[in-house]
Amino acid sequence: MKYLLKSLLKTIPVLLFITLIVFVLMRLTGDPVSLMLPETATQEERETLKNSLGLNDPLPVQYMHFLGDLVKGDFGDSFRYNTDALELVMERLPATIELAIAAMIVAVIISIPLGILSAIKRNSFMDLFITGGAVLGKAMPSFWLGIMLILLFSVMFQLFPVSGRGTLGHLVLPAITLGTGIAAEMTRLIRSSMLEILGQDFIRTARSKGLRETVVVNQHAFRNALIPVVTIMALQTATLVGGTLITETVFAWPGLGQLLVQAVNLRDMAVVQAATFIIAIFVIVSNLSADLIYRLLDPRIKYE
Amino acid sequence: MQEAVLKVDGLKVRFKTEDGYVSTVNGVSFTVHEGETLAIVGESGSGKSVTSLALMGILPPNGEVVEGSILYRDRELTNLSKKDYRKIRGNDISMIFQEPMTALNPVFTIGFQLREPLMLHAALNKQQAHSRAIEMLRSVGISDAEKVMGRFPHQLSGGMRQRVMIAMALSCNPKLLIADEPTTALDVTIQAQILTLLRNLKRQSSTSIMIITHDLGVVAEIADRVVVMYAGEIVEVATVDELFESPQHPYTKGLLNSMPKIHDVVDELYSIEGTVPSPLEMPTGCKFHPRCPLGDSECAKIHPSLESKEGDHLARCIKVAKKELVV
Repeated sequence: MKYLLKSLLKTIPVLLFITLIVFVLMRLTGDPVSLMLPETATQEERETLKNSLGLNDPLPVQYMHFLGDLVKGDFGDSFRYNTDALELVMERLPATIELAIAAMIVAVIISIPLGILSAIKRNSFMDLFITGGAVLGKAMPSFWLGIMLILLFSVMFQLFPVSGRGTLGHLVLPAITLGTGIAAEMTRLIRSSMLEILGQDFIRTARSKGLRETVVVNQHAFRNALIPVVTIMALQTATLVGGTLITETVFAWPGLGQLLVQAVNLRDMAVVQAATFIIAIFVIVSNLSADLIYRLLDPRIKYE
Repeated sequence: MQEAVLKVDGLKVRFKTEDGYVSTVNGVSFTVHEGETLAIVGESGSGKSVTSLALMGILPPNGEVVEGSILYRDRELTNLSKKDYRKIRGNDISMIFQEPMTALNPVFTIGFQLREPLMLHAALNKQQAHSRAIEMLRSVGISDAEKVMGRFPHQLSGGMRQRVMIAMALSCNPKLLIADEPTTALDVTIQAQILTLLRNLKRQSSTSIMIITHDLGVVAEIADRVVVMYAGEIVEVATVDELFESPQHPYTKGLLNSMPKIHDVVDELYSIEGTVPSPLEMPTGCKFHPRCPLGDSECAKIHPSLESKEGDHLARCIKVAKKELVV
């Protein structure tokens, strides 16, 4: 508990630093006013708008204003939609989380059995087939896989909807598209982790007790092999929340990625700041939960 | 003579490597009698650990028994199904290993690991297994057994872990305990404690012990009979008294000479020149002749057989057989 509190406190400066970087970068890369007003607007009109948005204040003053609002949970209004930026982000967040979790489930379902199988059948045809498949899964561009899945399962067999969000059916293809790449990476990781563990002395001990090979592999070895795998899972989950733009675009999935890219293009500062802040929180939370799962899996790790 | 618990006859083990098949155990035969402690002695690479893994049926995937028989109380183990072998392993024959630091699974409690064989072989439920495990821990000299049950291996010292391993190995009352260098990784004082423990446990039960070691001090301490192995073969078999009083094979003599003696002051300890040959480059004839002080051209040609010097004292050396060797 004490460890958890400490880690949570430590995240505050990290978050602050992230807001600072995003804030400064957004203001260095251009001025939203030119995109907000028609091209015929006069210089005077531009200045008035800039003043009213507070963009003419010195940067440190602007940042202090931003932080002051942030504490109140106010990220400002979107320049484009004229609504609360945080609300816009929060509207998109459930779709993104839903897709991230579904993709993770797909990845776990594929990678755990295949990773274990290729480790225990090392150097066999099966192993070659699985590791080859993993390379392919990693190398395949996700937009291509997504389009192929749509052509095959939506257009030809009409099993799943082509795009959009709503039913469970809508979720299947984008989840497979995203999950495949992660599954490929995790399969390779589980394989190498299992191979290392299977060579350990305590596996020999487990066999010498007369335990069934499935117990030796799935219980004694896998519990140990899981420890490094959890890190990758946590990092991947974080990536999924932030960067699923390509898959979101292919499947017209109304997630955070699309919103964020749009906002960057339009220099919609408030939305970019709100979105990155939320994504940062997700990254931090998933890293923290990786730490906690570590402790559950490996009694040798002690925090204090 | 007591009844034989284990009878190994002409055991050959080979490993598949990148350079082809390599034989690491070549026709090893010996018997372990009921209630006896048999020591298998040899340098690293002599094939003694591989022999013990073959007996347990847990050779690494690239290793296999190609010839010979392993009789456990008139039951042939070499052609046993995997399922039947599992019933014997950890139950009738159990094993403790050299490295207590790594031989226990780091992510499970001592209690979990001790209960496992009991629930598997003795068909106890969790509670029964728990109380039996506590009993076993006490019998190996762990006084706060209840507490230790909830600990993880990394929270125990090396000596404690080896005690746990012994408790685990003996929990199903095996007929044979194979101990592969059980004291090598431990401090000297702990070594003595573990050996005493093994001796006492053997006295209390009818368990036979097959101890594998390179340490003749351990042999003198605990063994009844000794098998000396060199390069995958047995070179001498003798009772422990015979071995220390009148060793026959030059290799055994070399081993005995390289033990430091407490009353002798010497500048340099004796050592046998060279190392155990690699299984890929086995010398012809007697495998020990290139390192043997008596080795000659005849030794390079003839591969001697294991012959009796007197009674059950066997040695594999043509010089001994011809009595050229002065004892």
